[in-house]
This record gives sequence, C-alpha cells and structure tokens, in this order.
Amino acid sequence: MMTSKAARLFLPMIPFAAILALWFIAPSIFPIPAYKLPTPQLVWEQFAATLSDGSLLKHVLASLERLALGFVIGNALAIPLGIAIGLNKHVSDLCMPLLTFLQSIAGIAWIPLAVLWFGIGNGAIVFVIANIIFFANLHNAVIGVEAVPESYRRAVRSLGASSTQTLFNVIVPGAMVQLLIGLRSSVAFGWRALIGAELIAGTTGLGYMTLDAVQWYQTETVILGMIIVGILWLVLDHAVFKTIENRTVIRWGLVRSD
Amino acid sequence: MNAARTRQGQKAIKGAIGIGLFFLAWQIGSSLSGVGSYFFPQPGDVFRAFVELWHKGILEAYLLDSLGRYFAGVGLGLLVGLIAALCLGLNKFIARMFTPLVSFFYAIVESAWLPIFVIWFGYGITTILTLLVYVVAFPILYNTLAGIRAFPPTYINAAKSLGGSRLQIITNVILPGLLPNIITGFRVGAGFAFRGLIIAEAIAATSGIGFLIFDGAANQQTDRTIVGMIVMGVLWLVIELFYLKPFEKATIHRWGLVVSAEGRET
Repeated sequence: MMTSKAARLFLPMIPFAAILALWFIAPSIFPIPAYKLPTPQLVWEQFAATLSDGSLLKHVLASLERLALGFVIGNALAIPLGIAIGLNKHVSDLCMPLLTFLQSIAGIAWIPLAVLWFGIGNGAIVFVIANIIFFANLHNAVIGVEAVPESYRRAVRSLGASSTQTLFNVIVPGAMVQLLIGLRSSVAFGWRALIGAELIAGTTGLGYMTLDAVQWYQTETVILGMIIVGILWLVLDHAVFKTIENRTVIRWGLVRSD
Repeated sequence: MNAARTRQGQKAIKGAIGIGLFFLAWQIGSSLSGVGSYFFPQPGDVFRAFVELWHKGILEAYLLDSLGRYFAGVGLGLLVGLIAALCLGLNKFIARMFTPLVSFFYAIVESAWLPIFVIWFGYGITTILTLLVYVVAFPILYNTLAGIRAFPPTYINAAKSLGGSRLQIITNVILPGLLPNIITGFRVGAGFAFRGLIIAEAIAATSGIGFLIFDGAANQQTDRTIVGMIVMGVLWLVIELFYLKPFEKATIHRWGLVVSAEGRET
C-alpha cells in the first residue's frame, strides 16, 4: 500500500524529469542558439533575478488583479440577467439570438475597440475579460434557471411565498450547481483571454512580459512567463475552484465527486 | 406540430426584433454621442466598409485565408491529439504517469505560447498552424487520459472472459468507450482554436479576419474592425452549425454513445 502510494506520487515525476533532462542536454547535442532555447539555468537565474527585484511579482499581481476585476464585473452582470432570461420566455426569445451572436465574438476581438474607448492598459483589458466572462456564465445561469421545474415555483407561490422569496429560496438554490460550474468555467475563458489581451494591449502583466521580451530576444523571460502561466492556472483551478466545488456542490450532494 | 411551428416562428420574429433593437440602439448611441466615426462608427459606416472590402476582394481573400488556416490547424490538431492519445492512453499505468505533465502543458494557454513560437518560427503560417495544433491536441489528449483513468475495468474483464483478444478489446471496447471523451476534447479544442486563430492572426499574420480586426484599428479604420468582428461572429456560428454540430451528430448521437457515457457515471 505504501509503495503503491509512493509510486503514484513518484511516477508523474518521470516525464517531467525527462523533459528537464532533455532541455539540459539539448544545446550540447543540437546546434540550437541560446536565443532560441536558453538553458534551464538561464531561466532559473532570470526567475531569481526578477523575483528579487520585484518585477515578476508586479506582473503576476497585475494579471491576477485584472482577472479578479473582470470576474466580479462580468458575473455581477451575467447572473442577474441570466436569471431574468431563464425566468421569462419573452425576454429569452428577444435576447437569445443577439446574445448568441455576441457570445461568438466575445473576448479578444474586442481588444481594438476596447483600446480605442478605454486606452491601452488596465481599462481595455478588464473590459475584454469582463466581456468574455459575462458571456461564458450567462448561458449557465439561463440553463440553471430553466432546469428548475415550473411546478416547484408554482408550489411555493401557492403556499404564499412572495416573488423575492421564490427567487432566493427556490430559483437561486435550484440553479446553484450550474452557476458554480459557470463561475469555474468562466474563469478559464477569462484566463485565456487575459493572457491574449495582455500580449496586445498590456503595459504590465504576464502576457505583456512575454511578448515584450521577444523584442529583446530575452527568450529566458518568455519561457519563465510560460511556466508561471501554467503553474498559476493549475493553482487557481485546483486550489481555489476545486475547493469551492468540494465545499459546496459536492458536499451538498448535488453532484457526485469523481 | 402546428403549434410548435408557430412557436418557432414567434421565436424567430422576437429574435429578429431583439437584433433590430440592438442596431437601433447602436445607431442612436453613435449619432447622439457625436464623437466621430473613428471613435464610434455608425452601422452605416460599417456597412459601407463591408461593401468596399467585398468589392475590392479583400474580405473574400481574408475569409479564405482564415478558413484554410482554421481547418488545416484543427485537422492536424485532431490527428496529433489522436496519435498522442493512442500512444499515452492504451495503458492505465502510462496514462497515470503522463496525466500531470499533460495537465501542465494544457494549463499553458495558447497565447502564452505565441511569443516563443514567433521566436522559433517567425511571423507567418508555421506559427499559426503550430498554435492551432497545440490548442486542439491538448484538450483531446487530456480528456482521453481522463477517460482512460476512469474506464471501468469490468467492461474489459467482461470482454476478456468472453474470449476477446487484446486487439479486439482495444478496437471494440476501449476505443468506442473513449469516443465521447475524444469528441468532447475536440469540441473544446475547436472552440479555443477559433479564438487562438484570431489572436495569432493579430500578431503573426498579414491577412485573415483576425488581421482585419486589428489592422483596421491600427490604421484608424474602426469601421473595418467592426466588419471583421461581425464576420468573425458569423463565421463561428456557421462553423458551429455546419461543421461541429453535424460532427457530433454523426458520431455521438448516431452510435448512442451519450447514453452509455452517462450510464457510466452513475
């Protein structure tokens, strides 16, 4: 039992180690110039240097702040509107075709207009992130509300509940699973768009850091940025959102955990 | 039947009204704001830009470029994803070993790869195609590995006890069982790839819809940017409707795989 657990932890290290080893020895086997593939030591030194002068942390925090802001704005608009659409057939018929179309252009295609309207930097990026997060969760809110059986609503109403009570005691809890799924997947969309938006419209942030480094052929910064993008997302998704899911949805027995 | 059709008709009319209201609000907003066509183009400006781009043949050329890149990239990505899934997937042991590595690379979003692809392959088609292959292959690989780890051993044991050979088990039990995972991964990847194409064209191309959107803004032709956005939206809806949905229907629905996939989860 112990050995199999240790093996399970140890096994996944093998591919990582193999890639790292390959990366170490690649420059001595193939004639790859350092600007195309800097050595792991160089990337590590760049990590240590940017960590100690605080510039790395500045970029990471700038990215996370935008994501958080876009997340709050996008969902604060999407959830109420999604509930309204889900509750009312007329609103749904009126809005859905337009929203479906707007959803298909949500995100990075808005960067040029956002830059024009809000200037390069924070404003434009937050607009783009909020935009994509809005559309990513709107659909989930609509589905969630539509999945609450009409008879539940009628039953509570006939027992004398007000429409506010119906909303907060029946509809919102009933749609909760879908809403939480939407929150999680909307962050994934937002994160993708964030890095893309920062490439083009950033003056700080991880995306900006990597594309800016291309101009100076600082490939070690590019690779460092990529590794941090990967790790940050895994931490965000696993530590934050899986935990929230475990604490809420799975605990309430609404869906079964794997 | 008839009632359903009236309901459909009503829905279409209301939807058209919604879109009409949007254009009306846009028209009123842009003429009231008085900030000028560069800052906030009117629907008419955008329509004129559309006609101009179409007459000059620019729009058609860009559309074909984008479509060609998209389908080439997605097709190659599907192929690479399937081959990788087959190599890493036919064994639970290997699947478990490689899952964290795959999750890590899956977590490095495509935009983060764009700078290094530019350094490696320069600005151009190689960078764009590599990006699309990457963004399609990883969701397929990731979903397939997840499917393999959760694959019920009883299915395999049942086939074995009935005398199935290793090859038969792979082709008749494991592959059909994993198909929903592969298709889900492909769906996700094809969606990401469309956005990836736009950003890749913005940075590494001199043609295509993504280029049109960003180049228009760079040349202060905001109306062209909006033409690009609208074409992009229509293009995606068309791809979804005529390519991805039929693909799903032809595979999942036809073979009734959705039912078996759901049955497995409970």
